[in-house]
Amino acid sequence: MADLSERFARYVAHQWPDASDIRVEGLSRIHGGASRETYRLRLKLRRDGVAEERPLILRRDPSGSLIETERATEYNAYRAFQGTAVPVPEPLWLEEDEQWLDRPFFVMEEITGCESSPQTLLTTPPYQEHIERMGEQKWRILGALNKADPGELGLADLMPAVKPEECWQRELLKWEEMIDEDEMTPQPIGRAAIRWLRRHPPPPPQKISVVHADFRTGNFLADGEGNIRAILDWEMAHLGNAIEDLAWSISRIWCWARDDRPGGLLPRDRAIALWEEASGLRADPEALHWWELLANLKALAIWISGGNEYATGSNHDTILGFTGWWLTNSQNRAILEIMGHLT
Amino acid sequence: MKPDVDVTLQLIAASLMTEIAPKISDDYIQRNSMLTAMLLQSAAEEWDRAAARRVEENRTLRRLFAEVAPEIGDPELRERLDAASGEEEESLRISDLNRSNDGLRTLLIQLHAHVEGIDTEGARRIEAAIWRELRVSTERRALSLAPF
Repeated sequence: MADLSERFARYVAHQWPDASDIRVEGLSRIHGGASRETYRLRLKLRRDGVAEERPLILRRDPSGSLIETERATEYNAYRAFQGTAVPVPEPLWLEEDEQWLDRPFFVMEEITGCESSPQTLLTTPPYQEHIERMGEQKWRILGALNKADPGELGLADLMPAVKPEECWQRELLKWEEMIDEDEMTPQPIGRAAIRWLRRHPPPPPQKISVVHADFRTGNFLADGEGNIRAILDWEMAHLGNAIEDLAWSISRIWCWARDDRPGGLLPRDRAIALWEEASGLRADPEALHWWELLANLKALAIWISGGNEYATGSNHDTILGFTGWWLTNSQNRAILEIMGHLT
Repeated sequence: MKPDVDVTLQLIAASLMTEIAPKISDDYIQRNSMLTAMLLQSAAEEWDRAAARRVEENRTLRRLFAEVAPEIGDPELRERLDAASGEEEESLRISDLNRSNDGLRTLLIQLHAHVEGIDTEGARRIEAAIWRELRVSTERRALSLAPF
């Protein structure tokens, strides 16, 4: 860690040549960032004779991860949503040059005094006293996110364009290809889901939206009063059908409280109603069903890919092996449930 | 007496969770230790049943293939179903049982896709049997730590 701290301090000196007395303190790795190595640190320096101290988050590319993601996508999303109804941390730097920290990385402010762990939020005071409040904000924020105009945000030129009628094909193909490449054993349930999804294409979206693509309890920061202070983990964000986000957010696998409440927070109907109200979009039941099945297939692909990386790749982070064991079979059961074959 | 593998793994997991992890000051390493303990618990649960559930599933799939093969019109697929249904396990090593299971489940996927495209009562009956087996296959693999 000392080496990483020193190298990051040199990088800050390069970025801010007018700064002096640059020190990096308390650099430590944060658990759970399965798609990036995530570190917390305190940056201390002087500029114009004034001492500054900034808590920062450093996200560095791993040598392998649950999902192959574009760091620029996440960085651009943080920049685009600054000052909007969708709370995000302030991004500072995106660095692709590997000379600094061996791998590309980006840096953003740390939002302190918050929690993201679903287990802590749902079971530990003071957070658990605000479950309903967090739930209401969660789906209102998602609605605002999906309502936002990608062009006005400056994201339309930074993310691949997609025609409304092609949203479903692109997503299905992406996750099918991941299963094709990474499956270590045959996946009869996943394959049946893929065939069904292809035979029953959903209606096109009412408009093209920014899709966060990993919007769930676990990917937002809440403070002790139940205020959601930031939406995190935008690595998979893209342009597409907003219902993809709603479906993922209410997916069975994120029912952390082991009941039917999506994300362990609110009844499903309430979550959908809040999203519809905030987004101005309608959660067409036929479309929602298709995208919920796709959400479950996508999650299966991610667990398969992570397990493959753990077993055969260069990243042996325990979280990759654990999710493979913990979630793959549950994900198959969730697919059976949504296809009506669990009972 | 030498403790069995599952007992050993359970005790290592318990030691990691209650004795070692709480004394680790680095948050990342501590959480990784807890996850490792949970992985060991799952591995312990799987160890005792590993061969049994694979043998049971392979037998069930072969029985299913034997039952449905006469109803399959595609001669090539019918031949593969017949051949698979007549096979027996040559070894009870987990790696060998996995290889058999992979072959049988690949054939199950082909059978499933085939009958989905046929509009007869017989095809629907076979499809229902496949879905039943797929449901049971997730029950065989269920772990007590799993969320669903």
